[in-house]
Amino acid sequence: MFSALAPARTWVGARVFFEEELEMWVVYTLNALYFAALLFLTSLGLNIILGVMGILNLAHGSLYAIGAFMAAWTIIAIGMNVPTFFLFISLLSGFVLAGIVGFLMEKSLIRFMYKRTLEYQLLLTFGALLLLEDIIKMIWGGQAYYASAPFDLLGKVDILGHIYPIYFLFVMFITCLAGLFIWFFMGRTKLGIMLRAISLDREMATGLGLDIGRLSTFAFVLGSGLAGLAGALVVPTTPALLGIGMEPLILAFIVVVVGGLGSLKGALVGSLLVGFTRSFGIAIFPEIELPLLFLIAGIILVVKPEGLFGR
Amino acid sequence: MGATAMTAGTFGTASKAIGQAKKPIPTTPVKIAAVSFLTGAAAAPFGIPGDNTYKMCADVINKEGGILGRKIDLQSKDEAGGVDAQVKLCRKLILEDKVDVVLGYISSASCLAVLPLSDELGGLIVAYDCGTHELMEGAKSPYEVPKFKLGFRSKAHLGIDNIGLALYIKKYYPKTKKVAGINPDYAWGRDSWLIFEVAMKKLMPQVEVVKTLWPPLGNTDYTAHISALMGAGPDIVHSSLWGGDAVTFSKQAIGMGFFKKIRMAYSRGEPYPQEVGKDYPEGQIICCAGTHYFLFSPKDKASADLQKWFVGEYHKRYGKYPTYPCYHAYQAIYAYKYAVEKATKAVGGWPTIDEIAKAMTGLTFPTPSGPLTIREDHNGIEDCLVGITKLTPKYPFPILDKMEVFSAAKVNPPVGTKTVDWINSWK
Repeated sequence: MFSALAPARTWVGARVFFEEELEMWVVYTLNALYFAALLFLTSLGLNIILGVMGILNLAHGSLYAIGAFMAAWTIIAIGMNVPTFFLFISLLSGFVLAGIVGFLMEKSLIRFMYKRTLEYQLLLTFGALLLLEDIIKMIWGGQAYYASAPFDLLGKVDILGHIYPIYFLFVMFITCLAGLFIWFFMGRTKLGIMLRAISLDREMATGLGLDIGRLSTFAFVLGSGLAGLAGALVVPTTPALLGIGMEPLILAFIVVVVGGLGSLKGALVGSLLVGFTRSFGIAIFPEIELPLLFLIAGIILVVKPEGLFGR
Repeated sequence: MGATAMTAGTFGTASKAIGQAKKPIPTTPVKIAAVSFLTGAAAAPFGIPGDNTYKMCADVINKEGGILGRKIDLQSKDEAGGVDAQVKLCRKLILEDKVDVVLGYISSASCLAVLPLSDELGGLIVAYDCGTHELMEGAKSPYEVPKFKLGFRSKAHLGIDNIGLALYIKKYYPKTKKVAGINPDYAWGRDSWLIFEVAMKKLMPQVEVVKTLWPPLGNTDYTAHISALMGAGPDIVHSSLWGGDAVTFSKQAIGMGFFKKIRMAYSRGEPYPQEVGKDYPEGQIICCAGTHYFLFSPKDKASADLQKWFVGEYHKRYGKYPTYPCYHAYQAIYAYKYAVEKATKAVGGWPTIDEIAKAMTGLTFPTPSGPLTIREDHNGIEDCLVGITKLTPKYPFPILDKMEVFSAAKVNPPVGTKTVDWINSWK
């Protein structure tokens, strides 16, 4: 079914798209931007941790899941009897709890891995992934948490004749704020410059007297919190379930590979590339949308192994 | 009044046989393992309601004296963990725990892996909720039945849902010109779409398929799929999305104005209006995986009385109306009970596993959704109910309007014929 008909269907899909579905490009673009926004937030945290600390954190998806569960639980606990504003503030609970878990992880596990090779990191962070999934199951049980109040409350808007949920625009706005904050923080503040110094040359930074231990903890907490924020932002649109962090983790890795290690610009471009490929891919050639994504990542790796904006 | 007491007049109990028992009836409890998803995505919509029903039925049967005087020792087990874990669990249940019967499995993958163990280990296994039509079918028509001597499925396969939808669309929406599909990218989704597409081509050959989408299981963002479907402009979109996926799709689709232009046809959408609430869109075509719907009243009195009791009792205990997995769980545990009682009548005492299997073959018994028959291919056959969602002041979620029941003969292939071959043979 797939192999024999896929090329023919792809060609027909492309023709039909340009002849009949082009008017939908506005929505496809908005969808791409929304998906890219969520991906950018997730990969940003992964990138900071990888760039500053050299740690490939496989448990990043679990931190995303913790953010999702925490936000869902808070939204349900708050209920609808409080001013709307509090419902949106409650999304920050995902950022806070994931940050706290990140802090504990760094202090108890990650700090012993800085001088070890990649294999040790992968084993340890994979173990942390399994552990965190079980902790989530222990705390929140196995059931789904539906917390769509923020999504429902914001309603819809008409954009060039297309109905679009305002919540998706809200997610894009929050992501822009977070991106600008990280850009300003890393480029303009003393703390950010110190973190970049560590990512450039850990030995030299140590020699200059920087407190590597505390700065690393800070970077890990920030990266974890961003994963939690991404999970929290997604939960009004989909139930919090065990394993919710797996797909974002895989896509965030693609973004980091494509965009380049430790690059903010790379994370942005990588997220947009994945977002647009997915949105237009599903519309034009749904049978090969996912393989195409991996093909693009593969080509970039071959042509530019360090990623589009990597060092 | 319990479920068994109500049907005793129609189907009889084995009390007479007990008095003449040649083989002794053990005094120990009957060990029944009930395997459903108790954690993960399938727990809330299917596993927990199914497990609740097993507990409710075991409780009722025990209060009425058990099965031939033997109390049920129900052991709830989790289906999570993948196919390998389920194979290990089933081996343990049969070989170490020595359960009398394993009732279980929601995932088609679990059923395909576990049912062959019935004959290998000599244990009775009754699949209760999984849908794949491949489970009991052979490689090509005609095929020999039964596929497993000790393996059964106490319900119909997914053919009824998708054939039922096609028949409904032909009857109520004969002007349909374009259809599309969005189904999860694994056996369940692919099989569901295959049967629907083949049936539609046969029933409404003029209809064009304009888009088929295969999102991965557990997808959290359907915006691209929703827009792609809206861009393709189908009249009706077929879907077998389930659990959190079905709810996520509905929520995001409502937000994007999808339902103003397009009608969905869900192969097993019955649980979701109750799950989503009043926001669930009206006018959507929904199949009930049989005639499993809390507002449906079967024609025969025994089943109609049972339905009234079942809906009331479940709602009293769990605060919700029973959904189709609840009915499936009822069918599985009572299939075992009735088979044991039927076999006891024949052999005069507590039957062996082979004798229970023999009694279960061809067994017909009342259920809250109507009489159920387990055929010689060890698969249940059922009528199929399809309707359209409509909000009423009486319920806080849309209920089904324009309910249409397609008879078992119209939606189940004959014994020994593959479903696709049967549809293709329609005149």
